[in-house]
Amino acid sequence: MGEEIVRVTGLEANPIIQIDQELCTGCQRCVTVCPVDAIEGPKGKPQTIRQDLCVACGQCVQICSAYASAFDEDIAPREQKMAERGLLPSVKEPLFAAYNSGDGLRVKAALADSSLFTMVQCAPAIRVAIAEEFGLPLGSLTHGQMATALRKLGFSRVYDTNFAADVTIMEEGSELIQRVTTDGILPMFTSCCPAWVKYVEQTYPELLPHLSSCKSPQQMAGVLFKTYGAQVGGVEAAEIFSVAVMPCTCKKFECDRPEMDDSGYRDVDVVITTRELAQLIKDAGIDFIHLAEEEFDQALGNYSGAGTIFGVTGGVMEAALRTGYELMTKQAIPELDINFVRGGEGIRKASVKVGDLTLKVAVVAGLKNARVVMEQIKAGQADFHFIEVMCCPVGCVSGGGQPKVILPSDKKRSHANRTANTYVHDKNLPLRKSHENPDVQKLYETFLGEPLGHKSHHLLHTQFVSRK
Amino acid sequence: MSTNLNKFIMADPNKCIGCKVCEVACSVAHADKEAITVGMIDTPLITRLYLVQTASVTMPIQCHHCEDAPCAQVCPVGAITQTRDRIIIAEKDCIGCKTCLMACPFGAIDFVPIYENGEAAIQNGLQVEIEDRMLEKQMVVASKCDLCAGYDGGPACVMACPEKALEMIVPKAQKKKRNIDAAMNLLESVKRYNG
Repeated sequence: MGEEIVRVTGLEANPIIQIDQELCTGCQRCVTVCPVDAIEGPKGKPQTIRQDLCVACGQCVQICSAYASAFDEDIAPREQKMAERGLLPSVKEPLFAAYNSGDGLRVKAALADSSLFTMVQCAPAIRVAIAEEFGLPLGSLTHGQMATALRKLGFSRVYDTNFAADVTIMEEGSELIQRVTTDGILPMFTSCCPAWVKYVEQTYPELLPHLSSCKSPQQMAGVLFKTYGAQVGGVEAAEIFSVAVMPCTCKKFECDRPEMDDSGYRDVDVVITTRELAQLIKDAGIDFIHLAEEEFDQALGNYSGAGTIFGVTGGVMEAALRTGYELMTKQAIPELDINFVRGGEGIRKASVKVGDLTLKVAVVAGLKNARVVMEQIKAGQADFHFIEVMCCPVGCVSGGGQPKVILPSDKKRSHANRTANTYVHDKNLPLRKSHENPDVQKLYETFLGEPLGHKSHHLLHTQFVSRK
Repeated sequence: MSTNLNKFIMADPNKCIGCKVCEVACSVAHADKEAITVGMIDTPLITRLYLVQTASVTMPIQCHHCEDAPCAQVCPVGAITQTRDRIIIAEKDCIGCKTCLMACPFGAIDFVPIYENGEAAIQNGLQVEIEDRMLEKQMVVASKCDLCAGYDGGPACVMACPEKALEMIVPKAQKKKRNIDAAMNLLESVKRYNG
């Protein structure tokens, strides 16, 4: 394998998260939630974001309450602000000081372009939150209606990130076993959270070898769309426009990373957030709540419960254990619901008996908590095999791109409900382990070969870059 | 003869950080459509308390539900009345003359459109001439804090404030508390002098 030169591009040229200087009142609630202390400014005056430090997690966007009054004559007109933010003209919701760049217009244009074969994937966290934007209770599970809405919008293929999450488990589970059994670099960290990855790159680049070399499910799905998906669909990769719907604003940064083009094209052309998808659905006049439920498209759309729990803290760990246990011991894990890795913000540690091995794992939720673990590793005191790190408070369901809850008192409930329904969805699915997904098995048998094999390595694994 | 004084909400300028969650909560509580997420809000936010931010002070200002409310005294159509324990504006009767806005020493009254089912209410007769064309004119009426009459669970702003800077003031209880604090302070001084 030749040395790939990974180019460094930061957020400075194209910031994803910005603070509108006309609207910010300097209350500094954003400062309290920023996990990397990237927001600065005196109290009571507009704050600014240090784009070199920002990991684009969007927690500031979620908490900001400094809105633009429609009756304020001293600020730029709403139309101007909406254009600056890349919002569809039909959007009616209020604008706040902290905001993320918008890509809804690009997706709308692609859907209207008949020369493009559009493929879409949705993250696990979307299906337990998008209905909130249509008035359904917090955390409502609407995967079937979500698929229908995407089809009505005009996507040629409605695939799913959860399928790719199952693939990620195959690769990452195998990688973990390899590191454990061949004295590889441990502890191994998950690498699916792009804000976490950027954090390691800019703060602890010396610890980059600890990151799993696996791409995130988003990026695995993207590269598979334009290779395997092109084959299956009988289309040229050049015609495919690959869209990802994410609960995360940092995924916009991840898809634009220069090295994410192993398909020969941009593996993911554009990322929109849950909120932006809801805006597109409303813009198209689709009555989401009354839609009939449909299935995802075959080949890259079926998923196991293990794939869907990626959306909550501890989910990647639990999914990896369900498969890793069986890969190592050749026996099914006795208890599928691994409750001791589930929980909320903070650091959770556990020991799991996997045959003769006692696997020591940790789950970190909330990027601020990761620093503690990183310092332990540097001091040689981190006695773990595998650590899952998620930037956002309770994992992706609490991501910066999720529906923005208005009242602080509803925030906790939104996290709790979205999390609970993620596990309900998992429990009710016929497939609960990634390696038992027949479409994943078919992908390996007919296209990829083996996990960690030559093709997997080329398409599904990546390299990281020091940003220090 | 009632000696009950009207309650009112007041912010503590020492605690207020100027975040405007109170304004957002107020708007949403009074909107005709429920909204838990921002995406569900499809009309402009209309608040009944107003954040003031200067070099020396940061706090929202809102109606004091005055016992001898000047707004009620001056309203030429009698749209403002004492209804049970609060001063209420009857939107339907308001003609938008703005005399109440001028009379209120706190600036607690604003003039705003009315949104129903996502649309602004339009006037029947009065139109606006813009560049030789006659266009609809929105209805505009007086609006102020109504202590969330008709909103379950009590005033939205008080509940929403992340710094607990807003308080529903019960005037008589406040007065009594101050009397007691003053007496306690005096007790210490008097002890020292009189032995």
